[in-house]
Amino acid sequence: MRVINTNDKNYSNMLKQFKSIIIVAMIALVTLCGATSCNSSKKLSKKEYKALVEQAKKDLTAILNEETEWTLEEQLERINEIKKTDFTKKNPEIVEMIERAELKVTNAIAERDRVAELKRIEEEKRLRELEEQSKPQTGLAEYFNLIANAKDVNTANKYIAEALQLFESPDAVVLVRLNNYGDYDRPTTAVNYLNYLKDQKKVTVNVDNVKFNAENKITELELIKK
Amino acid sequence: MKKVLFAIAFAFFALTGYQAFAQEPELSPERKQAIDSLALEKVRDLSKYIKLIGSKNTPWSEANRVIDRAEELFAPDAEIGVSSLSKKKIEYYKVRQYLERLMRLNYDRVEIDWYKIQYVSDLQRQPDGTYVGVITIFQTFKGYDAEGRLVYQDTTKKDITVYVKRKETQIGGRLIGFWDVMLGDMRVKETTMK
Repeated sequence: MRVINTNDKNYSNMLKQFKSIIIVAMIALVTLCGATSCNSSKKLSKKEYKALVEQAKKDLTAILNEETEWTLEEQLERINEIKKTDFTKKNPEIVEMIERAELKVTNAIAERDRVAELKRIEEEKRLRELEEQSKPQTGLAEYFNLIANAKDVNTANKYIAEALQLFESPDAVVLVRLNNYGDYDRPTTAVNYLNYLKDQKKVTVNVDNVKFNAENKITELELIKK
Repeated sequence: MKKVLFAIAFAFFALTGYQAFAQEPELSPERKQAIDSLALEKVRDLSKYIKLIGSKNTPWSEANRVIDRAEELFAPDAEIGVSSLSKKKIEYYKVRQYLERLMRLNYDRVEIDWYKIQYVSDLQRQPDGTYVGVITIFQTFKGYDAEGRLVYQDTTKKDITVYVKRKETQIGGRLIGFWDVMLGDMRVKETTMK
């Protein structure tokens, strides 16, 4: 019995030791597997790397050949994404493609912005011209009254000189329409008409139509009898 | 026979020419009114010019410019009559000559005013298409000496013949039809002291 008891004790100890080994082994296995699994998430498999290279080449080629429908910002974003992977050792051609694509896209963005800025300036100019085109009509009517009601000849002449700045030349044509049946007074010039207002001291017309040149100066003025 | 054919042809062309003229439409009352007013306005413009040229306050350069403008209102060779209470004879001068004399009148101050500017004979269409009428004006003239005393004064009634002709010109690629008003002789009808 005692022998048996002794054997039983040994057996029990062995079993405990075996359990401990199993637990340690399991911990070690779990630890090892965990570590390996982490390593596999950081390092690409050959297959994955190959796919990445293929996709990078495809995208960069599309960008370089302008065969993509991505916006320039999207293209730049994609290039930056590709740059996150180190291709210097295995695929230096991709690095070279990245450089070219990056240069191409940044240049394209700069050019696009430059053109947009030019368009904006052009549009501003157009709006300013439109605004100024409507100004002279008012300005002219004001000058007509200022000239006709000037307190003396010198003042009237000062206003005439200012008003003439609105015209392409002092000899710009001035037409005075009598009615809507195509009847006009004898055509005259800007300088003569402004002096006429000074001499006659009255304004008997309204500004009807104004033609401008590229510099926004009046080339032809049509007035109509009030 | 040739003479007969020529006479027939002449008669035919004369008749068709007359008919063409006769068929030219008359101006509508609105358009006629526009040219009546235009001619009257030219005479009123002249009255302002005469006043400016005669005024001793008008700078010399301005007076000369106004003379040019006033002269443009008249037909070439038009004449202006000048009367005086001291002379029976009425002197006639070419327009420029009259205006330059007016600028140099021997007074220290001159006042010239025109009033009752109106048609005495309405614009009538002539066979050549020109409209001709007569506008009468009354002019008061006052001359002062250096002391500001009124040394001469009269009132003159004058008749001005006006001619209005339709003309055309190209401006900026457009054909513009305009009425060219020309003043003719300005005849003295009577001069009174006032």
